[in-house]
Amino acid sequence: MPDVTLARRLFLAALPALMAGPALAQAVDTGRATTFIQATGRELVAAINGGGSVAQRRQQVAAILRRAVDVDGVGRFILGRYWRQASPDEQAEYMRLFEETLIRNLSARFGEYQGVRFSLGRTQQRAEDDTLVNTIVERPNTAAFSLDWRVGEVGGQPRVVDVIAEGTSLRLTTRSEYSAVISRNGGRVSALLDAMRNQVSQLAAREGR
Amino acid sequence: MRPPRPPLSRLLAPLLGLALLGGSLAGCATRPPADDPEALEEFRATNDPIEPWNRAMYDVHQAIDTAVLRPVAVAYRAVLPQPVRTGVSNVLSNLRSPVILMNDALQGETGRFGTTLQRFLLNSTVGIGGILDVAKDLGLPPHTEDFGQTFAVAGVEEGPFLFIPILGPSNPRDLAGFAAGIAADPFTWLTYGNRDLADTLNYIRAGTTVVSTRESLLDTLDDVQRTSLDPYATLRSAYRQQRAREIANRAGTPDAPQGLGTGLGSTPSSPQP
Repeated sequence: MPDVTLARRLFLAALPALMAGPALAQAVDTGRATTFIQATGRELVAAINGGGSVAQRRQQVAAILRRAVDVDGVGRFILGRYWRQASPDEQAEYMRLFEETLIRNLSARFGEYQGVRFSLGRTQQRAEDDTLVNTIVERPNTAAFSLDWRVGEVGGQPRVVDVIAEGTSLRLTTRSEYSAVISRNGGRVSALLDAMRNQVSQLAAREGR
Repeated sequence: MRPPRPPLSRLLAPLLGLALLGGSLAGCATRPPADDPEALEEFRATNDPIEPWNRAMYDVHQAIDTAVLRPVAVAYRAVLPQPVRTGVSNVLSNLRSPVILMNDALQGETGRFGTTLQRFLLNSTVGIGGILDVAKDLGLPPHTEDFGQTFAVAGVEEGPFLFIPILGPSNPRDLAGFAAGIAADPFTWLTYGNRDLADTLNYIRAGTTVVSTRESLLDTLDDVQRTSLDPYATLRSAYRQQRAREIANRAGTPDAPQGLGTGLGSTPSSPQP
């Protein structure tokens, strides 16, 4: 079928952008990745919908994310070439802020996510060494949307290395965002750290701590 | 006798002029020095040589959006219940069918061509002029297609990134595709024997498309404004990723047949509960 070939060729043409993934990630079995996402998703939904104060739920979610996401690899991928230009202190501070931003962005929206449900979608496909696991996220009174989890193997364990919402990769988009902040501030990584610090405190303030 | 004046294309001409003017007047983003290959590579990958101009246009867009587009979209959401809004969006999608059909054909996508044709026939009749998407329930999911995508399949490069006020993120290829889509749309030229009526209907359609599209993007764009350290950079990256995905016509990722074909969104797509 010529159209399929053409579509595949076009998709391959778009791949180089995606291929810059962390070299550390090893091939991961599709079935294993699916089971992993199912389990992690269930934990996350339980933590978000569970009782307890926002602070308690945030602790739970943070623990799940630290376990399930390759925070280090994703953080480095996003900082890209600026990772090597940053001083060790800046690198450490960046990682701390990056993790905090991930968790705060999620916990700031616990209210919106009340009653969230998710189910496995139809397609599970390989993308180079990683596996894409498709899920359908449903919230009350909102149209369902499709979320792809990119799972790689890091240190022998499956880990989430990217989240792709309706075709938009979180790590590629964030990489563009951070890189724009740095390059528009004279190439200084410290400018990004200031902006991230500012954002974290705003998120915390909105949450009422 | 006045020639027909499709409102969207009348809007397009000054916007295009503005964009082209920008390219020549505003100068270019500073190209990194040749001895910094990583910076050069990033410059190429970002594909935004007239970034200062684009950012100025983004600011213009944001001002219009804050003053008009977003408030209108918020009011639209507040006044009309979801089923009515879905009906409106379905009608607009249905009106886009002829253009989608043409592009399915031009890309040699026989399966998708059949789907679009059946959808149009079913939804226009059983679906009461497109208000109900009965075809989707019968296993004919919607998809989007436009001339920008067809140009891409034919090997046309996207060209430098452009941000056009009101239309949003784009590039010369997609902008040309947008214009071609208006020109090729039979509904642009149908006069029903009454040119004024046709003009009015085209205005209503253009206006409704903008409002309905903006409403569908409310949560997403609010989110970008709230969480991004540089919303312009985020939108630029997201647009280019979305287009790459739409062009690839990858299986298992259905998307909505609405939107302007410029990346200014498509209605909430994909799997319904």
